[in-house]
Amino acid sequence: MSETNSDRQRRGDRESAFYLFTQQRLPACKPVLTPPWVITIYFLVGFIFVPVGLFTLRASHSVVEIEERYDIECVPSQFRNDKVSYIQDDSVPKNCSLLFKVDKYMKAPIYIYYQLENYYQNHRRYVRSRSDQQLLHGRNFHGTSYCQPLESSNNRPIVPCGLIAWSLFNDTFTFIRGKALLKVNRTNIAWKSDRDHKFGKNVYPFNFQNGTWIGGGKLNPRIPLSNQEDLIVWMRISALPSFRKLYGRIEEDLDVGDYVVVQLMNDYNTYSFGGKKKLVLSTSNWLGGKNDFLGLAYVFVGSSSLTVAIVFMLLHLRSQR
Amino acid sequence: MLSIFAETKGCLYMQITRLVKSVVSRTTLAIGDGANDVGMLQEADIGVGISGVEGMRAVMASDFAIAQFRFLERLLLVHGHWCYRRISMMICYFFYKNITFGFTLFWFEAYTSFSGQPAYNDWYMSSYNVFFTSLPVIALGVFDHDVSARLCMKYPLLYQEGVQNLLFNWVLILGWMFNGLLSSIIIYLLTANSITGQAFRKDGQVADYSILGVTMYTCVVWTVNCQMALSINYFTWIQHLFIWGSIALWYIFLVVYGSIPSTLSTTAYKVLVEACAPSILYWLTTLLVISALLPLLSYRAFQIRFRPMEHDRIQIQRRRSESLERDVAQSRLSESSETRNSSDLPAEVRIRIDSLKASSRRKNS
Repeated sequence: MSETNSDRQRRGDRESAFYLFTQQRLPACKPVLTPPWVITIYFLVGFIFVPVGLFTLRASHSVVEIEERYDIECVPSQFRNDKVSYIQDDSVPKNCSLLFKVDKYMKAPIYIYYQLENYYQNHRRYVRSRSDQQLLHGRNFHGTSYCQPLESSNNRPIVPCGLIAWSLFNDTFTFIRGKALLKVNRTNIAWKSDRDHKFGKNVYPFNFQNGTWIGGGKLNPRIPLSNQEDLIVWMRISALPSFRKLYGRIEEDLDVGDYVVVQLMNDYNTYSFGGKKKLVLSTSNWLGGKNDFLGLAYVFVGSSSLTVAIVFMLLHLRSQR
Repeated sequence: MLSIFAETKGCLYMQITRLVKSVVSRTTLAIGDGANDVGMLQEADIGVGISGVEGMRAVMASDFAIAQFRFLERLLLVHGHWCYRRISMMICYFFYKNITFGFTLFWFEAYTSFSGQPAYNDWYMSSYNVFFTSLPVIALGVFDHDVSARLCMKYPLLYQEGVQNLLFNWVLILGWMFNGLLSSIIIYLLTANSITGQAFRKDGQVADYSILGVTMYTCVVWTVNCQMALSINYFTWIQHLFIWGSIALWYIFLVVYGSIPSTLSTTAYKVLVEACAPSILYWLTTLLVISALLPLLSYRAFQIRFRPMEHDRIQIQRRRSESLERDVAQSRLSESSETRNSSDLPAEVRIRIDSLKASSRRKNS
């Protein structure tokens, strides 16, 4: 029987994309999780993850890091029982020196970080206590209610307002190797987008840290906010209660056996809330800093995947017999 | 239980249906085509109206309308089974994806002294259920088939999965919720321990709040969408577009949102373009998210191999018969070419060809 025109048209309709879509007859791939596929997937995951993990671990081990806690050591013995009054007393000299011994060759640039612990920069009240508009536009911007109670003092607005700026970290460090001062590069430590677009080039600190309570460092009122890199680095909220922030870079290599003396001013108060302060010198590579966790996690996931593959294969073969 | 009534008054139909419902206390389905069936159709749990000779009144009062009585078989066995599976999977998956997302926020709270600071930017959270995870669920709910229409009609036993409520019981629901909890723990632990205080890039920069948020959210989006890819059995271009498109949409969103002035985008300003994308640690952490998929994959693998459900068995059977047909078609091609010799075929295929030939000979004789 030959096809009539209407039959041909109906057949054409049946194959049109819209018909296939509405009748749910689209061409489809229907994968089924059969044992060969499962075993293949697990072996693939294992054979990719274990080498990646080992490679990452090797990268992490090649980073050299020296860390020293200094908040307890730098308190003179007579104040060890009452550290809070020590830190709040301006008449007591706060200088202190630390010794770093370099055990492995450290290639430039060497990054200097200060590490704070038990410091909740991610607390909601703290995070909200800033005014991005004011940082960009200056004291003429009046919508700074989130900065309460540090919005104004003596009836004059505070620029930059808020708790984050008020609690600016103000310990300072100088590094001496042997007899020579190590040059520390303190520019370009903040993110470029922050310097260019979040902090105004025409905004200057005003009425800052003028109240009865001093929370941290003071700012030079003649430098615009976009050049105040310490402030910019500090105002980038950290994720977890234990964090590091970039202080500067040493552009020279440090050899094995070098002794670096750090003269620091122990100004910042972490004693009121049981916080810790540490100074860290670290190199970096393609992965970043020293953290074994990622490498170990990859190796663990890869090896458990291989184990599951072998177990599944054995069970499958045994129950087939 | 099936009862058939004909040529009776409408109110009697309704009373009989009510009686059956109260005595049997199961889901009842009524089918009819005339105006006298309207009461019965509305009384039953499911009313199926047939449009045609006696007018459209039954259709207007029904839950489902079909054109001929014989379509009832297809309605029940094919669409009934598909809809049951789609709805149950969709609900379980919805719980799963929101639990995964919500619990990562909860674990982060433990590290902010429970102050209520969310781990993610506000706009990420608002758009989670709208942009990045909604389309795959629609693809599941509207288009998924576990077994094709032809096989649904061929194996009516598959319908019992719905009757016995095998795909939507408490065990499965709690299992999916537990899977969500497990995924959120894995994602949170892996992300928060990989991106800690140390530098996360070659230039010595450390990861801050916004970077941890972006990394964790990226892991959540990948995990949740890949779980969807593992759970469905039917991939058309729509599923591929929705699943991989949702993941791509997240990156596009980050780029677009990050380029809005920082007074509006706050913590998301240029976060992907400047901070995360050049960091290899970010991409490696995202890759590690595969480990959050392995629990469900293992469960499914072991379940399909050692305790397959009815639809799993049918899929495996179909797989085997498809490969058998392919072997037979290939061998037929090779038989027709004179240079090939039947002894070149593997023994399995020859045995299958012989059995097929024998059965077709029996049919013809």
